[in-house]
Amino acid sequence: MTVEPTLEKSATALDRAVIARLRGVHKTYGPVRVLDLPELDLYAGQVVGVVGENGAGKSTLMGTLAGSVRRDGGEIEIDGHALVPGSTAESGRLGVALVSQEFPLVGQLSVAENLSLGQRPADSRRRVLVDRGAQRRAAEAMLTAIGLDPATISVRRVVRELPVPARQLIEIAKGWGRDPKLLILDEPTSSLGPIEARLVLDLARRAASDGRAVLFIGHRLDEVREIADRVLVLRNGRLVADLTPEEATEDRLIREMVGDEVAHSEPKTAPTGAAPLMEISGLTADGLGPVDLTVRKGEILGIAGLMGSGRSRLIHTIAGAQPATGGSMTMSGKPYAPKNAEQGVNAGIAMIPEDRKLQSLVLFAPIRANVTVSVLRRISRRGVLGPRRIRREAVAITDNVKVRMQSVDQSVGSLSGGNQQRAIFGRAFAAEPRLLLLDEPTRGVDVGSKAQIYELIDRAAESGTAVVAASSELEELLWICHRIAVMHRGRVAAVIERADATKENIMTAAATGVAQARSETNGNPT
Amino acid sequence: MSSPTLTPADAADTAAAPSAGSSLLRKLAATPETGVVLACVLAFIVFSLEAPTYYSAVNLQVMGRDLAQFGVLAIGESFVILTGGIDLSVAGLAGLAGVLAGWFNVNEGLPAPVAILFTLLVCAAVGLWHGTMVNKLNVPPFVITLVTFTVAKGLALSITSGTPITGMSNLFGDLSLYYVGPVPIPALIFVVVAVLAWFVLERTYVGRQIYAVGGNAEAARLAGIPTKRRITATYVVSSTLAGLVGILIVGRLGVADPSVSTNGYELVAIAAAVVGGVSLFGGEGRILGIAAGAILLEFINNGLLALNVSPYYQTVAQGIVLGVAILADRIRATYFGGGRR
Repeated sequence: MTVEPTLEKSATALDRAVIARLRGVHKTYGPVRVLDLPELDLYAGQVVGVVGENGAGKSTLMGTLAGSVRRDGGEIEIDGHALVPGSTAESGRLGVALVSQEFPLVGQLSVAENLSLGQRPADSRRRVLVDRGAQRRAAEAMLTAIGLDPATISVRRVVRELPVPARQLIEIAKGWGRDPKLLILDEPTSSLGPIEARLVLDLARRAASDGRAVLFIGHRLDEVREIADRVLVLRNGRLVADLTPEEATEDRLIREMVGDEVAHSEPKTAPTGAAPLMEISGLTADGLGPVDLTVRKGEILGIAGLMGSGRSRLIHTIAGAQPATGGSMTMSGKPYAPKNAEQGVNAGIAMIPEDRKLQSLVLFAPIRANVTVSVLRRISRRGVLGPRRIRREAVAITDNVKVRMQSVDQSVGSLSGGNQQRAIFGRAFAAEPRLLLLDEPTRGVDVGSKAQIYELIDRAAESGTAVVAASSELEELLWICHRIAVMHRGRVAAVIERADATKENIMTAAATGVAQARSETNGNPT
Repeated sequence: MSSPTLTPADAADTAAAPSAGSSLLRKLAATPETGVVLACVLAFIVFSLEAPTYYSAVNLQVMGRDLAQFGVLAIGESFVILTGGIDLSVAGLAGLAGVLAGWFNVNEGLPAPVAILFTLLVCAAVGLWHGTMVNKLNVPPFVITLVTFTVAKGLALSITSGTPITGMSNLFGDLSLYYVGPVPIPALIFVVVAVLAWFVLERTYVGRQIYAVGGNAEAARLAGIPTKRRITATYVVSSTLAGLVGILIVGRLGVADPSVSTNGYELVAIAAAVVGGVSLFGGEGRILGIAAGAILLEFINNGLLALNVSPYYQTVAQGIVLGVAILADRIRATYFGGGRR
């Protein structure tokens, strides 16, 4: 497992000043080691591109440097000073600035106030009161510094009224304004149009030529290749490649990102002659579509795609939990246009959302209450039901999916992640759905539980239920699915039969939106 | 709160489960209502020892009538709190309901049962309004019910121009002053309301869904529960019960007097719910505890009166009881599990 990858350092790197020195840095969430870096140095004057699949450890790496993630162990030095783990203030003091994708801006405050948040403008002439003039001048200077015309974004505007690209630029100005030694940019161009993106890329180069170190987390491989002096590839929390721009061809990067281990599953063939259950045509919703897709009975259809490509949105829109804005769906030939999740459930759809704690469970409530939520109405007699009935049903549901527990009376929060997830599957099965929608079905469960959950998914399909499973883990999709639909910017870029699916062609379709030749014919299943 | 989704709850599977051979004592310690029920018993014993009049039939009947006011309000309030909301309008609405009932009965000449029915319908409509505002426009419950509270108080005064309505049908007085055996009717009403509330919350699927909505609204929504209808229903229950309380108060006084203050009743109702183990975050709390909470507050209020403690200190005592109850609950949750947030 811990084979040290042979790292090729670019020759110029060695004689530069080290800005960030990482030694043995690691971080574990539950059973998953999400970051494990024995050795990594970032040099002054370099733009370092970082690429990797979802969950490869990019965000954790950034968070560890910026202090928003507390590392479990290892040493980090910034410009020779040891960095205390888990303190954003300390990281900031040592000169690390993170431009995050999440825009931690205060929406109700103006641009100027956000840009000077927590600091007094340098030329403020007042001691106690806010010098708004100085604040505005400072803010305008910060915007000008990143090459923005302050006329395009008025610093008096309230941040929440600004469009997303403008907020991204403000966030960048904020990071830039701290005069950082290490500037971390987290997919800074993902929300930007081509002109602003150009500005940001130039900025990253300028930062490097000023002698700063820049860590550029990229999702567009062409951008990374264009501006990086060095490209790091992360996979499963490990640094698997350290490439020069010449070495970092698109093919090579994708190969390193997905790894070359062969998917260890027998390719499944779709159940032959299965009738379509759901036909989706032209479906649109906020950030989604138009999507055309067919789901067949007894089939497991995977939904692949990068973060933000619309995987969850598609699932939620089918379930009725997010309103559709156009297009149509049919179930068993009948029109299906849910106004809310309740109507989805009534039509025979069960959804297992991505986040157990926030979207599925009442953690402090007993297991019996949690697993019977889907069947309360059915098991009641004229609306009335007794505790014995609930208990009996809860025991049957949890036995069906083999939840390991003492009794159905303990709180569901006291179960392990895998057991919680199985309980949720039990609850979904109890409703006897015709269509089972899964969003990240094995997130946060250990390896053993994963296999058990895959069995449950297979079982559902074998009983004739149609399954749609969205996942950021390609191995998972290759393991469980009959077909895989790859999403790119809210649309289905390709539908690939399992027999034809490889990590490479899925990744290519997800990253570029263009299906490779041999899968293109499957783009429109008929 | 929003821990990364990667983090599984990897606590031992057995953490909160009482071991098979656990003693009754441990079970009691893990039950949220144990404390407040014990406190009721204790308060009753202590006051009875200090003031012999405390446990006289007459005083018990007085307490029974009081309970009908605070207890019924607390039960209605609890429905709303169970969904994670709050209803500040109950006291104001109770005051208005009394005046409305009198006005329907005397000024409009409607028979008492019809006047009562109309009053309750108006109150139910107010609850519907609260629910609609909370659901459709996402108005914070605190705000919309505060609006109603203020308007209701003003309306009660303006309907009567400040003068009490007299000459109401006997039925009002009968409702509040008659007995079944030794038990005053209001106390019976409290018991009936409590039993009904218990039945709805514990024994119907709608009740269980109300708990789910309060525990995790998003999970409930995604599971296909009509969360908005459930939330609205709780406001209707709360407002209607407030109306009932208003009618009982009028009956007790014999006049519909807008200047009779129901000030602070909503806080007593909330306090009773919290003392009884209802979580203000929603999703937790049972009728047994809520009723016991109301009873405890009444025992203490009345007891201090029996001991001739100044009314000023009664308020202090109420505050202390609330504080102790919250502390005790946190201690129980922290050291005995039970999974309270």
